[in-house]
Amino acid sequence: MTELVLCDVSRRYGAALAIDSLNLTVSEGEFLTLLGPSGCGKSTTLASIAGLDQPTGGRITFGDRVLVDADTGAYLPPEARGFGVVFQSYALWPHMTVENNVAMSLKLRKVPSAERKKRVAEALDLVELGGLAKRYPGELSGGQQQRVALARAIVFRPPLLLLDEPLSNLDAQLRQQARVWLKDIQRELGLTTIYVTHDQDEALAMSDRIVVMRGGKVIQLGTPKDIYRDPQHPFAASFIGNANLLEVSGGAVAEPGACTVTLADGQPIHGRVPVGGLVSGKQLLAVRPHLIRHEACADASEITVEFGAESYLGDHFEQDVHVAGITLRLSVEEPQPRGTGRIWIRQQDAVVFCADS
Amino acid sequence: MAFLSRTGPHHGTASPPPFDRARLIQWLIFLVTASLMLAPALPILLQVVVDRPLYADDWQFTLGNIAQIFQSERIGRIALTTGLFALFSVIIAEVLGIAAALLIGRTDMPGRKVMGDVLMWPLYLSHLIFALGWVIIYGPSGFVTQLIAQSTGEAPWNLYSIAGMSVVAGISQAPLAYLYCLYGAVRSVDSTLESAARTTGAGPLQVLRKVTLPLMIPSIITSTALNLVIAVETLSIPLFLARPARIDTLSTFLYAEGIAASNPNHGLVAASSLLLMTLVGSTLMLQRMLLRHGHRYETVKGKGSRPMVLGLGKLRWPLAILFATVLITTVVVPIAGIILRAFTSFLSPLVPVSKVLTLNNFDKLFADEANIRAICNTVEIALLSAGLGTLLAVAVALVIQRSDFRFAGTLEALAYSPRVVPGMITGLGVFYAAVILPPMGWLRGNIGIIVVAYVMATLPLAMGVIQPAIVQIGRDLDRAARTVGADWSDAMRFILLPLLKPALLGSFILLFVFHLKSYIIAIFLMAPGLEVMGVSMLSLWTNGDVGVLAAFATFQIVLVATLLLLARFLFKVKIYD
Ligand SMILES: Nc1ncnc2c1ncn2[C@@H]1O[C@H](COP(=O)(O)OP(=O)(O)OP(=O)(O)O)[C@@H](O)[C@H]1O
Ligand SMILES: [Mg+2]
Repeated sequence: MTELVLCDVSRRYGAALAIDSLNLTVSEGEFLTLLGPSGCGKSTTLASIAGLDQPTGGRITFGDRVLVDADTGAYLPPEARGFGVVFQSYALWPHMTVENNVAMSLKLRKVPSAERKKRVAEALDLVELGGLAKRYPGELSGGQQQRVALARAIVFRPPLLLLDEPLSNLDAQLRQQARVWLKDIQRELGLTTIYVTHDQDEALAMSDRIVVMRGGKVIQLGTPKDIYRDPQHPFAASFIGNANLLEVSGGAVAEPGACTVTLADGQPIHGRVPVGGLVSGKQLLAVRPHLIRHEACADASEITVEFGAESYLGDHFEQDVHVAGITLRLSVEEPQPRGTGRIWIRQQDAVVFCADS
Repeated sequence: MAFLSRTGPHHGTASPPPFDRARLIQWLIFLVTASLMLAPALPILLQVVVDRPLYADDWQFTLGNIAQIFQSERIGRIALTTGLFALFSVIIAEVLGIAAALLIGRTDMPGRKVMGDVLMWPLYLSHLIFALGWVIIYGPSGFVTQLIAQSTGEAPWNLYSIAGMSVVAGISQAPLAYLYCLYGAVRSVDSTLESAARTTGAGPLQVLRKVTLPLMIPSIITSTALNLVIAVETLSIPLFLARPARIDTLSTFLYAEGIAASNPNHGLVAASSLLLMTLVGSTLMLQRMLLRHGHRYETVKGKGSRPMVLGLGKLRWPLAILFATVLITTVVVPIAGIILRAFTSFLSPLVPVSKVLTLNNFDKLFADEANIRAICNTVEIALLSAGLGTLLAVAVALVIQRSDFRFAGTLEALAYSPRVVPGMITGLGVFYAAVILPPMGWLRGNIGIIVVAYVMATLPLAMGVIQPAIVQIGRDLDRAARTVGADWSDAMRFILLPLLKPALLGSFILLFVFHLKSYIIAIFLMAPGLEVMGVSMLSLWTNGDVGVLAAFATFQIVLVATLLLLARFLFKVKIYD
């Protein structure tokens, strides 16, 4: 098994850390997504793996090859790593035809001309662009350019494919299609893939595992289901699925399990603690908008609130709810009448974290 | 999809090369640049502190040369003259240039396009030609001077004075100020800034003064510094206009002591060169210091908004007439004077031109083999230097901007160091280097020595064309090449170089034109058989052959004009654009 291993990788720019002691293992054939807000270090991580940027600390290995090691000063330049990279800007060479863009890697590897032609044609067929081989990048649409960029990155059979927000320049509909198409190709070729995005839907739909990043650190790593259903950190909960975060207070909880917290106005909520070590005092409660109910149900805490303004979002309404000086977002089929009312939150849906995490 | 399956043959990465080719190339570029830049500078520094010419035997270290400079009353006077001349000429150049940039770039003044083109003429011609034109028309026995003297009985002005020199130098440097202000500020100022000012009730002229002008300050500072440097190092204007009046500037002093004197005092020459370089260096330093907080004046660029045109109203025609008159008297008439003089045996208001028309000057010009040789040499040298200079500039620029070479900063400083070395001194340094450094000895006696000096002197000029073009090319393009298996040198060769073609062509043409008209760098490198046009023209002046000189100048004007027109229409390259 050829595994990619990042060990304590850091990238420092002056005083600022773009990535901070990142540890990560990617196994063969896996589709791993780096997900996080703008500036969290996703591109920097990808560039470190590709060899386009040199980390200032830590070590990256691929199989038994050391790609970079800050301690020994070892550093393999990108051309010696041979990973396929798709850039956010596509970075197609404007002075070369589509065909020549794709053929470049094979020319540099001195692949004989006949085989080169065959493989370029096959790669272009794979991305469904066989007919456009003679065009220049400037004569292609955004979606077509993105396909050329992919063909260029896979034609030389890289052991690892790195994609930096490849779909972010496409419109919403094209993006949906490209997502499915890209995933199909990846599965078909069994390519180990690291995919960067800040779009949670993309991450959930395509990945085997997701790395949620913030401020250069890994916040949580897990399968899409894990990340969505069982966030280990309030940031993971709010970034994926837009959970409400409310300030509450509660007692110390050492082990994962049930707990009870109170809102500022004294109303109690029963919830659960996913990671132990909760200290008493201020705490954070995360709850997803569509899991807040407005009808009584089993195992739920009842809370008296003020219903506020609603906005129409097509298939549902989003409604503001005020309680104890804070505002919650609520996802409902029909808006509730404004004014005093009640909501219910099930214990398993109310996740409690430390306030300072 | 068998072809892409992981079981297929991997054309992974080749085994790592035995040596790092890219690094080797980067080091090579660094070493070539460093030796090219330092080889001429070090001998000058050495010459400053030794007591006899470097090529003489058993020289001793001494501080006498420096002492001589500071004690000599004459050099003090010369430095003062140089300072005054530089100051006045820069003021004239800047006032004209700024006014032209505003009027031509932003207003609806009639005829502004044509006037903008005419204003550029002095930049395409050498100071030598421009000074000649002024002498022929406005000199003590010049055509216009005589014309006025006839009616008033006395000469209206004296061109052979500091004021006269300053006017000529000021006008020939106005295009530089104009270009910097036009492209650095007038064209790129976000017009919404101005619209905003207008909504507060400011009139168009007030907007120019209160909003546009302050935004031009960095451009004004930069062009002022460059023009100061040029004024300090120019030779032909003071040589033509001040020498007859026994006024010396540092450059004419260097010329007289280093070239014209039968027994050159090399120690003194080197020491005054050092003085000159210090002057130039501190000017450029001051410019950088002044611009350190430049972001305060940063204008929004690249928004592609069309600059707003200010209506001049009633002032339209009076301003246009004023501006046209200035251009005609200061630029068009002197150049026309040269051409007229080339085709006449004598030029005076007392004799009708039709009576003195002749081709004699051209006959004489082309009858002299040395002149033909000068023309051939010049074209050859210009082609070689422009080619090699462009090549070196793009190599250096790519290492600076597109590699992780450790000494990229040092390389950049080295590449721009010729800016503090006046052209005459570059020539002097190369001359010394060829004398004392054995590896450069083989350059002596052939055009190679001039090519080396030219390539060195114009490296910053070429970099100035190429570096902005590199910035325009996204970094991802070469990064992408690296990821598909190209090392640094392949990425530069296959991706950057093809994309830089227009800039390379522009740099080549700019350098070629520059070398065609250049003379000052070659002065110290002249040897029989090594003539170049500019230097031959200088000696024609010294010998008093004004007719032949005018013919030679006309020939050069036609050559440069043809080239520029060809470049513009054939390659669509407009230099200084
Ligand atoms: N050359 C640089 N110099 C200084 N700081 C940098 C540099 N490049 C990146 N950074 C900083 O490193 C951090 C991480 O940048 P990175 O490009 O990896 O973010 P990202 O997660 O890819 O964001 P986005 O989603 O916007 O692309 C940012 O805070 C950025 O400002
Ligand atoms: Mg990014």
